[in-house]
Order: sequence, then C-alpha cells, then structure tokens
Amino acid sequence: MKIEIKKFGKTLTSRDSGQEAYKAVQKQLEELKKDEELVLDFAGVNTFTPSWGDEFITPLHNLYKQRLVLIKSQNPSIAATLELLTEIYQTEFNFKEK
Amino acid sequence: MAETGKIDIKQAAAILKVNPETLRRWDRNNRLKARRDTPTAHRYYFEVDLADFLADNYKYLADLAFRWAFTKESVDLPDSFYCEDSFVFKARLSKLENALLKERALADFFPLITSVVGEIGNNSFDHNIGHWPDIPGIFFGYSLKSRKIILADRGQGVLTTLKRVKPDLASDEEALLTAFTQSISGRGPEKRGNGLKYVRKVVVKNAMDLFFQSGQASVKINKKSVDIKPVKEKKYLTGTLAIIKY
Repeated sequence: MKIEIKKFGKTLTSRDSGQEAYKAVQKQLEELKKDEELVLDFAGVNTFTPSWGDEFITPLHNLYKQRLVLIKSQNPSIAATLELLTEIYQTEFNFKEK
Repeated sequence: MAETGKIDIKQAAAILKVNPETLRRWDRNNRLKARRDTPTAHRYYFEVDLADFLADNYKYLADLAFRWAFTKESVDLPDSFYCEDSFVFKARLSKLENALLKERALADFFPLITSVVGEIGNNSFDHNIGHWPDIPGIFFGYSLKSRKIILADRGQGVLTTLKRVKPDLASDEEALLTAFTQSISGRGPEKRGNGLKYVRKVVVKNAMDLFFQSGQASVKINKKSVDIKPVKEKKYLTGTLAIIKY
C-alpha cells in the first residue's frame, strides 16, 4: 500500500496537522494485508519537519517496523527530518529508491 | 488598527517609532508614500503600506519585533506580522515558502529555511497553549531583501517550560543549552522537544545564522558553531525571540 504524503499538504510543519494526518489514514490502514509493505511517498512535498514527522511517521514505524518503507527524497528538509528521527529513536528506517 | 483600515499619521509614527514629521518628509521624498482623499486632506496609510515598508526596511521591522517582544505594554502591530494562532501562522508560513521558492538561488535550500521557521514558530504555540502570560500568538515578519526572518512570542520562555520536565534547571543559559542539545520537552511525558535540536543541526550544516534569546540568555548559531554557548543578555525577555539569516 502506498500513501502519498502530498495529499496532506505541501508544507507539513506542525504536530497538530501531523496528528490529523495520522488519524486520517487509520481507515485505509485497516486494509493493509499482514505482510504487505506500507510505502510512504514524499514526492510533491515542499517542506517537512520533525514535528509533523514525529506525529505521523514515528507511530507508523512503531507499528509496522521494517514493513514501513520510505521512498528516498532529494528534498533536504525530508532528509534532515528523517536523519533526526533516526538519531532520536536510535532506529533505522527502511528506505528504497523510487 | 482602525475599523476603516485607515491608519492616521500619529498611529503610523507610533508603529514605526519615528516622528510624524519624519513621515511627512518620507511622503514628500517618496520613501513611504502617504494617502490622501484630497490634496489638502490629512495623510493616512493602509496597513499594507506599512507592511510593505517594514518588509523592505529590516531595521524598522526588527525594531518593531523587539518592542513587541520586550515591552510589557501592548504594542500596536500591523496584522500582517501578528499570528494570533497556529492556523494563521501556517498560512503565513506557506506564503513565505512560496516567496522563497521563486528565488532561483534558493531552489535546493528553501525547504530547510521554511522548516526551521516552522519549528520555531510552532514551538511557541505548542509550549504556550493555555499559558500565555498576556498576549497570545507570535510576531512573524521577514525581509526578503535583507534575507532575514524574525519570530517572537510573549510566552513563558524556555526555562519555565523546560522546568516542568527538568526541575533542576537553574538558569536561562542552562535551559537554552538543554533545548538546543537534548531531546526533552516542556510538554512531557510525551516524546517531544526535538524542534530546536533540528534547528541547530540544519543551521550548522547550511548557510544560515540564528540568534535566539529567551529570558536573559541567548545563543548565536552558524556554520562555525561547534558547541552551543549561551551568553547572558542585558535585557530580559519573557518569551522567545529568533532571528534567522539565510
């Protein structure tokens, strides 16, 4: 299953909107099959921050671990945010190229 | 601001902290053009006139931000620089993002600027919600010409918010050091408080300068900053003030 992050906006900065986005995908996630990957695609996002990411990506990563797959992005705010979350939670994200 | 949207010369002078006579001179020499309904009527301005002037004249913008952040009294702010809640801030941040992405030289860089501004501004709201001492919300202004962005709040400041989860913090300097270097938050026990850590990492790695003050302490961070070294400021600031240069 793939989630296009841009559907939540191009400027994703606050914890509130990260929480809202997380709530919004819950119904969709019920359809995720047992061994299916959950792919997050950041294409089209302009600005991304740890506040938003921590409310959306962190809980998904806690739930799905390595089944959560992040498509690599050239956007520096996405790269810097994921780097910080990796450092804080002492974890590794499962990345893939486009 | 007046209901009509008109700002008389006395109000405009107070906002810019200049003499009304200076404004008359600026009108005559076109530095800041006033409006008049008839050639002999009183001069007035619309908010957009002052906002455009401030965006082009960083010195006056910074002075307004400092007065708003540091004084106990209420300072009349043009609406364009005041974000009463996080929704207004979000909309203004998108506007800044749009302006930055039009600058070709910033094509690979603007997301980092917007994300740093977003983290600092949202921090003000997240840490002060329900606890604003007097005026809620933040000052958010920028000069694209000077490549400087100012954010300020009249909240409780970093020390007060961090003391909730780290009661042994003894000074504003310690609080700033913690905020910029440790993963901790005033809104614990939730896992929060990574915002200023992110800001430091991005500023150090990129062509940005940051000045950040809260209480009586400030930090300056740039590419050369190996360590965070808070220093004591002369003037006390209840909330926070950040200046980003890119």
